[in-house]
Amino acid sequence: MRTANTLRYTLGGLGILMIGTGAWLVAAEPEPAGVLLWLAGALVLHDGVFAPLVLAVGLLLVGERYRGVLRGALITAGGLVLVTLPLLVRPGEPPNPSALPLPYGRNLAIVLVVVAAVAGVSILVRRGRDARQRGAEDG
Amino acid sequence: MDAMTLRPRLRRPAALSAFCPPTFTGRLHDARTATAVGRWLGAAFAVCFATGLVSHYLQHPPDWLADHLPPRPVWGYRLTQGLHVATGLAAIVLLLVKLWTVYPRLFVWPPVRSWRHALERLSVAVLVASAVFQVLTGLLNIAEWYPWPFSFVPVHFAVAWIVTGSIMLHVAVKAPEIRAHWGRGSEGTLTLPAEDALDRRSLLIGTGAAVGAVTLTTVGQSFTALKALDLLAPRHPDHGPQGLPVNRTAAAAGISARSLRTWRLEVTGPRPYTLTLDALGELPRAAARLPIACVEGWSVEAGWEGVPVRDLVERAGGRPGRDGVRVTSLETTGTYRIMDMGAEYVDDPLSLLALTLNGRALSLDHGFPARIIAPNRPGVLQTKWVHRLEVL
Repeated sequence: MRTANTLRYTLGGLGILMIGTGAWLVAAEPEPAGVLLWLAGALVLHDGVFAPLVLAVGLLLVGERYRGVLRGALITAGGLVLVTLPLLVRPGEPPNPSALPLPYGRNLAIVLVVVAAVAGVSILVRRGRDARQRGAEDG
Repeated sequence: MDAMTLRPRLRRPAALSAFCPPTFTGRLHDARTATAVGRWLGAAFAVCFATGLVSHYLQHPPDWLADHLPPRPVWGYRLTQGLHVATGLAAIVLLLVKLWTVYPRLFVWPPVRSWRHALERLSVAVLVASAVFQVLTGLLNIAEWYPWPFSFVPVHFAVAWIVTGSIMLHVAVKAPEIRAHWGRGSEGTLTLPAEDALDRRSLLIGTGAAVGAVTLTTVGQSFTALKALDLLAPRHPDHGPQGLPVNRTAAAAGISARSLRTWRLEVTGPRPYTLTLDALGELPRAAARLPIACVEGWSVEAGWEGVPVRDLVERAGGRPGRDGVRVTSLETTGTYRIMDMGAEYVDDPLSLLALTLNGRALSLDHGFPARIIAPNRPGVLQTKWVHRLEVL
C-alpha cells in the first residue's frame, strides 16, 4: 500500500510539474492572452453548449426499446460529422489542390446512410429475435 | 429507484436556494463507466503526447541531439505521425463520451466543500479546457484552418504538457476510485445497480463503433492499404501532382520556372564547388523507395532517384558520419526555408538530393530541379527547390 501511495503522489507531482511546464511555455508566447481565451472558450463551448445539446438528444431516447443501438448510431454519426465539419465549413479555398481534395459533403452523406442502414438492420435482427423469444415463451 | 429519491434533503440557506442545480436521473453517469472510457482516453492521449514529442524533437532537436537522430526505420516518422493524427481523431469521440459520463459532477452541491475540493475542481477545469482545446486545434490544423490569434505549433506543444500533466494529476487524485471500478467484478463496480451492466456494455460498444468508423474513414490518408475507405480525411494518397500530395506549391513558395533558369547547386565546405543541373545529373545516382510523411498526418511512399547527400558532402571535403549539412531552398519565405540535417542523416545512403519522382523529373510543385528526400523525417524537412548545401 505504501508503494502504491508513493507511486500515486509521484504521478500527481509529476503531473503538476508538467502543467507548470506547459503554463510557462504558454506564458512565453507572444500572445498568451489569446491562448487563455481559447482555453476558456473550449471549456464554455463543451460545458455550456455541446454537452447540454447531447443531453437533450439523449432525452429523446429515454424509454426507446432499442435505445442502445440508436445511441451507438448517434455517437458514430456525431463523431463522423464532427471530424468532417471543419472540412465542410472552413472559409476560403484550400491552400493547394491536393489539400481537402474529396467531395466531403457527398462522402459524409454516404457514410451516414451506411451507419443508419447498419443500425436499422441491427434493430430488425433484435426485433426478430425478441419476437421469437416471446413466441417460445407463449408456446 | 432514481437519483431524485436518492438525493438527501438538505436545508439550504435562503440565499443559496435561489439557484437550483439541475439533477440527472439518467444512467451511466457512474465511476465504472468513467473508468472504462477513461482508460482508453488516457491511452489515446499518452500515444498523442509520445508521438508528438517524437515529431517535435525530430523537427527542433537540441544541439546535443541533432547529430544522433536515427534515420531508421525509414517508416518511423510515417508511423508515429500517422498514429498521432489517427489517435487524436479517435480521442475526440472518447473525450466527448467521457465528459458526458461525468457531466453531472459539474453541478455538485455545494459547489465547493473544502480547499482540497476547490483545488480538485480547478484541476478538472484545466483538464477539460486543455483536452477540448487540444483536440479542437489539432482537428482544425489538419483542415488547414487557423482561426486563432496564436501560432499553432508552439501552442499545441505547450498545451500538450498541460493536458498530459492534468491527466496524470487526475489519475493520481482518482486512483482509489479507478482501482475500485477497474473491472466488472471490482468492489466499487459491484455496489452499482446490476441492471446497468448491460446498458454500460452497449454504450461501450457504441463508443467503440464510433471510434472504428472515424478511424476507418480517415486512416487511409496515412495507411495507404485502406485508401479505398479514405472518404473523410483532409488528404488522399492519390490526389496531388505526380500522384503525390504536396503541402506547399511552387506558386505559394514564390517559385516560377523563370526564377529557376539560372539555377546552380552551390556546395560549400573545405572544397566548395558549383554544379549546373546537367553536371548534377551526370553524377552517380541512387534509387530509394521512401515515404513523404507530413506533420499533418498524411503519408505516401514513392520511388525517388538522385545523388546521395553524402557523396555531395564528401566531394566538398566534408566527413560523412561526422558533419551535418545546412540545406537552403530557393523559396523566399517560410519557416523551413533553411533546414539542418544531422550527421546520421547525411551519412545514410538513402538520404538523396532527388531529381526524379516515380521515374519522371520532379514537377515544379515537388521541388524541381532538386529536393531532399531522407528516411524517417517529417515532410517539412524534405526541403524542395534546393540551391545550396553547406557542410557544417
